[in-house]
Amino acid sequence: MTETFVSFTRADLAAIAPEIALVATGCLILLLEAFAPRLRRWFATVALAGVAASLWFLVQAPGGTTFGGRYETSSLTVLMGLFLGATAVVAILVAKPYLERTGEERGEFYALLLWGHTGVMLMTRGLDLLIVFIGLETLSLAFYVLAGFFRRVSASSEAGLKYFLTGAFGSAFTLYGIALLFGASAGTRFEDLSRPGLADSTAVTFGLLLLLVGFGFKMSLAPFHAWAPDVYQGMPTPAVAYLSVAPKGASVLVLFRVFGAVFEHGMPDRFRTGVAALAIFSMTLGNVVALAQRDAKRLLAYSGIAQMGYVTIALAVFGRDALAAVLVYFFAYLVSNAGAFAAVSALYPDETKPHPVGLLAGAGRTAPFPSAVLALCLFSLAGIPATAGFIGKFFLFKAALEQGLYALAVIGVLNSLVSIGYYLKVVYILYMREPIEGEAPPPLAPADRLALALCGAGILILGIFPASLWAIARQAAATLPLTGP
Amino acid sequence: MDALLRDHLVSVVVFLPLAGAVLLLLLPRSAASAARNIAFGVSVLDLIVSVPLWTRFLVGVPGFQLRERIDWIPQLGITYNVGLDGISLLLVMLTTVLTPVSLLFSLTHVEKEVRGYSVAFLVLETGMLGSLVALDLALFYVFWEVMLVPMYFIIGIWGGPRRIYASMKFFLFTMSGSLLMFLAILFVAIRHHTATGAWSFALEDLTRMTFTGRVETYLFLAFALAFAIKVPVFPLHTWLPDAHTEAPTAGSIILAGVMLKLGAYGYLRFALPLFPDAAMRFAPWLGVLGVIGVIYGAMVAYAQHDMKRLVAYSSVSHLGLVVIGIGAFTTMSLSGSILQMVNHGLSTGALFLLVGVLYERRHTRELDAYGGIAAVVPVTTALFLIATLSSIGLPGLNGFVGEFTILLGTWLSPHRWWSAAAATGVILSAIYMLTLVQRVFWNPLVVEENRKLTDVRPSEFVAAATLVVLMVWIGVRPNDVLDRIRPAVESLQKSVAARQVALHESARPEISEVRR
Repeated sequence: MTETFVSFTRADLAAIAPEIALVATGCLILLLEAFAPRLRRWFATVALAGVAASLWFLVQAPGGTTFGGRYETSSLTVLMGLFLGATAVVAILVAKPYLERTGEERGEFYALLLWGHTGVMLMTRGLDLLIVFIGLETLSLAFYVLAGFFRRVSASSEAGLKYFLTGAFGSAFTLYGIALLFGASAGTRFEDLSRPGLADSTAVTFGLLLLLVGFGFKMSLAPFHAWAPDVYQGMPTPAVAYLSVAPKGASVLVLFRVFGAVFEHGMPDRFRTGVAALAIFSMTLGNVVALAQRDAKRLLAYSGIAQMGYVTIALAVFGRDALAAVLVYFFAYLVSNAGAFAAVSALYPDETKPHPVGLLAGAGRTAPFPSAVLALCLFSLAGIPATAGFIGKFFLFKAALEQGLYALAVIGVLNSLVSIGYYLKVVYILYMREPIEGEAPPPLAPADRLALALCGAGILILGIFPASLWAIARQAAATLPLTGP
Repeated sequence: MDALLRDHLVSVVVFLPLAGAVLLLLLPRSAASAARNIAFGVSVLDLIVSVPLWTRFLVGVPGFQLRERIDWIPQLGITYNVGLDGISLLLVMLTTVLTPVSLLFSLTHVEKEVRGYSVAFLVLETGMLGSLVALDLALFYVFWEVMLVPMYFIIGIWGGPRRIYASMKFFLFTMSGSLLMFLAILFVAIRHHTATGAWSFALEDLTRMTFTGRVETYLFLAFALAFAIKVPVFPLHTWLPDAHTEAPTAGSIILAGVMLKLGAYGYLRFALPLFPDAAMRFAPWLGVLGVIGVIYGAMVAYAQHDMKRLVAYSSVSHLGLVVIGIGAFTTMSLSGSILQMVNHGLSTGALFLLVGVLYERRHTRELDAYGGIAAVVPVTTALFLIATLSSIGLPGLNGFVGEFTILLGTWLSPHRWWSAAAATGVILSAIYMLTLVQRVFWNPLVVEENRKLTDVRPSEFVAAATLVVLMVWIGVRPNDVLDRIRPAVESLQKSVAARQVALHESARPEISEVRR
């Protein structure tokens, strides 16, 4: 190995311009917070501009790999970048009115969100386990702080501490897995993992299992999910809107990359069985426990655990169509899940208190627009046709059936039947209960309205005209060296 | 505009209500009377637009007519692919008639959240019409499921005291069937792709596939379960009395009038042609379940004290008859079943409507709360009596033609005893329906409040009278309808028979060898 690790060329700089833009915007907001706090009401706009600039740089960046084959710019990373950027936009839009209502509008929030976003971008673009890990840690550090953002609210502090402890635990698994893979392959780049014979080595198997655990934590995949409900409950809702979507997508992509590199000739059956078991466990546990939830954010946390179970089906299927299905699924999940959190944020008057679902009684009448979008998001999460969620499940189950994983598909649809129970419960509370006296939802802020409109429109457009996204996703998935259709 | 109506007539009929729903969403929420009138106007307009479907439909021509086809998800061969044969034509017309009828009734009787109510009905109409004309399985599934959501809201928001339970049960029951059908649709399409190298979800392409043995059985059961729940076939009927009883009157009319028919329709349109062998193997079971449904439904109906529940159980009984006709699978029994679907839509629709009329005045549906009101409300009584006679199959009205055709057609099949058993169901239906009429309209008038009952309003009269006119029309000129059904039935039978022969010859090559 003669190449030096630090060798910046113009191409390298162009490749990381999107991330530089995000970090710089974060720093700018932090400086403005310190020296010009009167500009606070413009922070969200600045943050949005930062995300837009980063997306522009991402689209402009020349394709190919940089940093000695460690950093990728391809249709896949651009598509992922759009997915992450869109999530960030929704989170920022929701954050502004949210923080104003709470009286905690501070620049740190946006800065941390942007830095966390940078970390997730690194995870999707890095072709080196270390870059991925640095991305993961950047994300985690930023969100540990965001989880405890309301210092005076004990639930928020608890969320911060819990997320930190479990997150550190998960990162340790990831790091140990990386070490094992490094030990076996003498390299940290993904392509180093493709050496013949590695797939059968015990160290690699253990390394992969540890990575599965580590990224399973980030995905809130059962049995590594325990942190999610508590953290979601205490964390500011806009941050949850981001955390519950973007890092999960990035984690699944990383797993696809690593598995794709190691299992060049297809995933061994025992491994597939293990992943399938994980998928079944996560779907079932998430759905069954969600039935018993009374807090809106906890309910969505368990729903997310179940949704990640569905996604893991695609990991068990493995192959290009499965990855394309995952990409479509995550776009659907973005509009539905981030939309649901946006609606939750817009529907609850007091952010620092718990969010019992019962408080939404009659919101269909008192706050028709956010309620309608929330109902739409829940129907989408349940996978009712003509919504984005159905399209996601459609391609996912198609991929599973094509590979002959019939049992997994049947368990998947039966699970979505269970999930209808709790999604409909929320719809019932929204529309079929009388409003509670004196518990009116807050007036709807323009930014909330915009975020909700974007998500609602996204759900319907993706649900009714999915053909072009599927085409793009397939093309993007083809850039990964995966075996299988 | 002319070109649109000429080339895309079916799509216009299907999506006009949806466009109306979008228009309503642009209105302010408080504009209740505007919403009511617009919704009713849109449904009437849809009825007017659908009349050319009836006139332009070529009688006696098998196959699908008025077809349209546009790529939807081209990578997977999923198309927006619609068309009509006699079966779908009849049910489409039934839908476009019953929707304005139920909205006309709602004009005066719905006060709560009128805009949402109107939107739900219009979306529901698009869902029902779409599933009746879809010839692509993915497209069908989308419409089929979309239908559930507005009906869930209609029962859950505007329904009776136990509406929450009923709406949830309705949704979960229906969904549990269709999810497995969803996987089966995917599986069939994937098999088609593996076999031919081309993706397609079109019914015509997929019916060319043959499945054998266990695979066919599982696939058939996945489809049949979805449709059997919707019909509903005994013992999957338990959601129906709850949903019907709790739904608002207009919702019951649509639920009984159209949505139940979609179960039988789906079975005929998809399950039978796709899996003919399994369907024929399970036909005896279907017939037996139909017989049980006829008799059980009738007996339970007789025991009811709530008028709506009584009519709901009578639906279980009447649809059992339809199921028997499908199970017997003769040309006549199938035609009768299809005709009877329409008849049941008209008569039960009218019965629910008139029960709704009484309920709006007295706010009770208990049989014992009425009695002797024939003199107080003569027009209501007359309309109710006609609907009852249609329902129990009096010659000269539509019900007779349908029931007679099914019974005769079944008698011609190997399963004669079904016909005999079903005939007792017809007698039982006369017993419980006439008892209902007697207890409500005749008998001495004992409850004083009933003296102040007012007769039907003009709008209610128009709604009910429309249905009565259609009952008489079909009763007097049944061939107007049967002529449109027959080619569709015959081509269905022909395709099933051809596939079965092909299947058995390929399964037993040595026999076909000998024959040659």
